[in-house]
Amino acid sequence: MKAQQVSDLAWRGLIFLVSGFMALPLLLVVLFSFNQSALTSLPLTGLTLDWYRRLFAKDAFWPALENSLIVGFAAALLAIVTGTLAALALSRFQPRQAGILINILSIPMMMPALIIGVSLMSYFVRFLDVPLGLWTVVLGHVVIAQPFVVLILYARLAHFDWSAVDSARDLGASPLQAFFTVTLPIIQPTIVGAGLIALSISLDDFVIAFFTIGAGNTLPTLVWGLVRTSLDPTINAIATLLLALSIGSTILALRLSRYRG
Amino acid sequence: MGRKQLPLVPAGLIYAGVFVAPLLFFFVISFWSVKSRILRPDFTFKNYVATWAQYWDSMANTMAVALMIAAVTTLLAFGFAYAVRFKAGKLEGPLLFLALITLFGGYLVKIYAWKSILGRDGILNQALVELGLVDQPVDALLYNTNAVIITLTYFLLPFAILPIYGNLRAINPATIEAARDLGAKRWAVMRDVILPQCEKGIVIAFTLAFLISAGDYVTPRFVGGGAAMMGHFIELQFSLGFNWPQGSAMSFSAMLLSLAIVLALRAAFKRSLRP
Repeated sequence: MKAQQVSDLAWRGLIFLVSGFMALPLLLVVLFSFNQSALTSLPLTGLTLDWYRRLFAKDAFWPALENSLIVGFAAALLAIVTGTLAALALSRFQPRQAGILINILSIPMMMPALIIGVSLMSYFVRFLDVPLGLWTVVLGHVVIAQPFVVLILYARLAHFDWSAVDSARDLGASPLQAFFTVTLPIIQPTIVGAGLIALSISLDDFVIAFFTIGAGNTLPTLVWGLVRTSLDPTINAIATLLLALSIGSTILALRLSRYRG
Repeated sequence: MGRKQLPLVPAGLIYAGVFVAPLLFFFVISFWSVKSRILRPDFTFKNYVATWAQYWDSMANTMAVALMIAAVTTLLAFGFAYAVRFKAGKLEGPLLFLALITLFGGYLVKIYAWKSILGRDGILNQALVELGLVDQPVDALLYNTNAVIITLTYFLLPFAILPIYGNLRAINPATIEAARDLGAKRWAVMRDVILPQCEKGIVIAFTLAFLISAGDYVTPRFVGGGAAMMGHFIELQFSLGFNWPQGSAMSFSAMLLSLAIVLALRAAFKRSLRP
């Protein structure tokens, strides 16, 4: 075998191993959520929807789902408004300046959620002296979702044809008119895509929600309670639902925004 | 402020009001004191002194584990991104898609998945027994530092792959062929053509992996069996200890140390790439 063939084989092996490493654990969770036995071992003892039935019969499940959806949609909406506006402003900056501002805005992405969570909690409770609730979770989620929206929209606007907007302005449209009739329709799919990414970030967050919700649950904090207290196979079912929700919205987002890395 | 900057205001308000202000207040708290479980404004350094006196070994351990995770994650991510970009052919799209959909595949779900895989009744133990490698299930797979490293690497990998792939995509394969045709060895191509182009992505991937794992507490608690990580002790100050000033001093000490390590490593990495 020639050196070239050996190296190609090695690269293929790496691809195979790493993609298996990424996909298999999540596939197992989905698989076990349909397994009759309560044990997470193979072979499967038979297919069942019992764990889902038990999950839906839990009193705590529906309020947690409702809270997660309320927080997710509110945070996503807020983040696409603030993020899109910021990206529009930044796209008119010099690239160097815009880059620096984007880096600053992106710091929350690099920050451990624990630090964001406890600092928000102490700020709300002790400094502002306001009651914790869903809205404090929403604000926390906007902070971590906003940079993703800015990054995605800024990337889209980097190859945006401003001449259409200029023509509208030349023909007498006000800046707002030009925005709503020309710019917005063109970037709308990207905005929806970014919003869905923001939604999956919110649905996925456990740490910030845990510290800022006060009373009540979101789906992740409910999962946390379940995992800590028992080896309850309904966890596989709720995990699969969470997975379906966030992967579903990510896939939709990718189709809409055509964002690639 | 001109009209040009006006649309930045809402995002700026969120950033200042819900990110910077809380962090500043949280920093102020690190100088406060606690008396009979009541938080009292103060100006003392004793929380920092206590942090370094009591937790220096956990601090060192946290940094070591985070470095390990960041190194493994970045290496795997680079290898995967490189292979997907230049060696995967038609599979390039689907493989990238896999990395993208696992990005937000559920933080707790991922940790839980590894807990059940590595557990006593998990499929890894099952496989070991069936292959005859061990007589009975071993407990040694779970509740240790290795489990923390595996789980966090798993969680961070997609986040590390994307920025590196983003840089690699900008490299034209023809450039690599040209360098090879002109007589450059494989390693020289890697060092002089490929690595400088994805320096930014590698730095982002490593920094993200390092900072997130240095500050994580859920993974060590779930699969680490009380592995001495700072996040775990910081969280305890808020849940059980009710000593916010101590927790705050520990947070800022850990963040500052992590930042210093990341900056030092980044400088070393950049220097090593200079021709």
